[in-house]
Amino acid sequence: MIPFALLLPLLVGLPVLLSLASLAGRSPAAILRLCAVGTVAVSLLAAVPVAVVLAGGEPLVMLGDWIRLDALSALHMMVLCIVYSLGALHSPGYFADEVRKNTLDTAAARRYGGLWFGSLSAMLVVLLSNNMGVMWVGIEATTLLTAFLICVHVTPGSLEAMWKYLLMCSVGVAMAFTGTLLLSASTGPTAVHGNESLLWTSLMASAGGLNVTLVKAGFIFMVIGYGTKAGLAPMHNWLPDAHSQAPAPVSAIFSGFLLNASLYCILRTLPIVEAATGGQGWGREILIAAGLLSILTAAAFIVVQRDLKRLLAYSSLEHMGIIALGAGLGGAGAFAAMFHMLSHSLGKSTAFLSAGRIIKAYGTNDMRRLTGTLAASPLWGAGLLSGILGLVGTAPFAIFFSEFMILRAAVDSGEWVTAVLFLLGMCIVFAGALRFLLPMVWKPRDPKPVFPKATVLEHFIVILPLSALLLLGVLMPGFLTKAFASAAAVLGGAQ
Amino acid sequence: MTAYLDIILVALILSDFILLGSGRLGNCIRIAAWQGIMVGLLPIATADAGFSFRIAALGIAVVVLKGFVFPRLLNRAIRESASSREVKPFVGYTTSLLAGVLALSASFWLDGRLSFPLHLESAIVVPVSLSMMFTGLFLVVARRTAVNQVIGYLVLENGIYALSLAIVRDVPFLVELGVLMDMFVAVFVMGIAIYRINMEFDHMDSNRLAKLRG
Repeated sequence: MIPFALLLPLLVGLPVLLSLASLAGRSPAAILRLCAVGTVAVSLLAAVPVAVVLAGGEPLVMLGDWIRLDALSALHMMVLCIVYSLGALHSPGYFADEVRKNTLDTAAARRYGGLWFGSLSAMLVVLLSNNMGVMWVGIEATTLLTAFLICVHVTPGSLEAMWKYLLMCSVGVAMAFTGTLLLSASTGPTAVHGNESLLWTSLMASAGGLNVTLVKAGFIFMVIGYGTKAGLAPMHNWLPDAHSQAPAPVSAIFSGFLLNASLYCILRTLPIVEAATGGQGWGREILIAAGLLSILTAAAFIVVQRDLKRLLAYSSLEHMGIIALGAGLGGAGAFAAMFHMLSHSLGKSTAFLSAGRIIKAYGTNDMRRLTGTLAASPLWGAGLLSGILGLVGTAPFAIFFSEFMILRAAVDSGEWVTAVLFLLGMCIVFAGALRFLLPMVWKPRDPKPVFPKATVLEHFIVILPLSALLLLGVLMPGFLTKAFASAAAVLGGAQ
Repeated sequence: MTAYLDIILVALILSDFILLGSGRLGNCIRIAAWQGIMVGLLPIATADAGFSFRIAALGIAVVVLKGFVFPRLLNRAIRESASSREVKPFVGYTTSLLAGVLALSASFWLDGRLSFPLHLESAIVVPVSLSMMFTGLFLVVARRTAVNQVIGYLVLENGIYALSLAIVRDVPFLVELGVLMDMFVAVFVMGIAIYRINMEFDHMDSNRLAKLRG
């Protein structure tokens, strides 16, 4: 038996070293290349423990239970690596013109590289820690490390977005810490003491004896706190600003994983709450309500949206809502939520990255002026078209199937109101997003904006995730089915 | 030691009210620093059972950070700017004080409803920490200048720290250190952010930061 668990601390350490290396980088181009190569290297390293856990089903444990990788965190880690790799591989091309014009100088590039790897390391800490306190420390660290990534280009708009993000998420996450403390205090009546009172595994093991009032209060604080950072309505105000002001690779990691990381913390707590409250669905109801509210809020804003990046940001709000809803429904819904998480991250990061290139070439975010993108650039135009089509749930793409499964789960469990509201939200989003999409793709435009020639690698990193999104809907490989099922089993507690 | 404990707790409430009624930024920073020092002394004032290295180390770290390092960072952030007062807060000072009274009574009511397991020998420790949390949240929402919003965040964190002393038997040392480090970085990053906003806008009115809507 090879001790794969030994890889886990290395996984956190490697990005820290890369972060330091970026701070010493000599030229912006070199630092951006280091980002691309380094992120892929970390992902390849992470692939080993992820594959071991998802194939074997047994969690990897290290350092006396402080580090733990189970199916739920392994699945999230897979998504994390995919999203960060896509973003990093896009960075050299996305910033190429700024490097040439010297608007991105070496100091800014060093900061970018340092924060990029720093945030990667913090996200890995969140996923790897079995201790709810350390998990919180990781989430707060991601807030602080990603704040300055929003204002790589210092403009009044990006500073405003950064301040809003920094303050709202810090305050939100402070509430989540209160929730963590209450959860720890709820171990009063049990034999769990000291260090163990924050360990997820020991909380799970003695969930039956926890002080129910404190568990409930703690969960409410955590849903509000982590929900602020996951972008759940009504705490989502910072989200469209930050996503729309950040450079495209940063928007991609915000939408593709930062939100998921925070939602992951809520999902982690859910089985403890369910077990402590006697499996009556008290915690699940909260997630269903928060999910529906997010979906409907997003739908309302998508209909009136004219800014392309804000549209994509509200779409993230919608999808976080869908994942929360699926997890709240439990059973088949939890399976669909996991499936949905992977599909959303694939589709959303590609859409953001393509949109970023298009916005750069056209010099505007306004969808009414972004016309004829397919003719101007077949690659980025097609990336945007299929990305958005996939995200709104058009049929052959994976998201259609995961949304359908969630609808089925709602109907099967007799939640008719939920099913109807969910369907209503989907329809509004579909209509709202397609309103500008068709002219944006096909309406002819003269003169055509000039795009720099796309490299072979860039073709790959657009086509690969989109084909994955398409194929996942039609035929899902067996190991993924198993991975989704075992992650859903963690969510469902010991079923 | 309970006498000392209660004195500190009452002083904490008073500092909340001074913050709610004060508009001068330098003054607010000083009061927040004093509040940080008192919160740092809480675990030392309650260490009846034994004065361990852990308690001493944490107490010193909290006092140094909240009492000296944070005010320094904030003072540096406002030094460059011309404004030294809160300009027309969203909620006036009299109303703010009334809100403080409301928060305090709500905290006592909430403490009666939820029976917290206590590890400190004082009947008012939980309501005091809850009211500090409410006051902090209120300041973040009701104040217009960025520095006062950061002070609100610090008051919120002080409240959470006091609550953790009251209801959790012992938070693991590593976690405490992580939390303190995060707080330090948070205030540091916020300080840089305020400095940058100053350079760009020439003032610190975060309300002018309101172009992004919808």
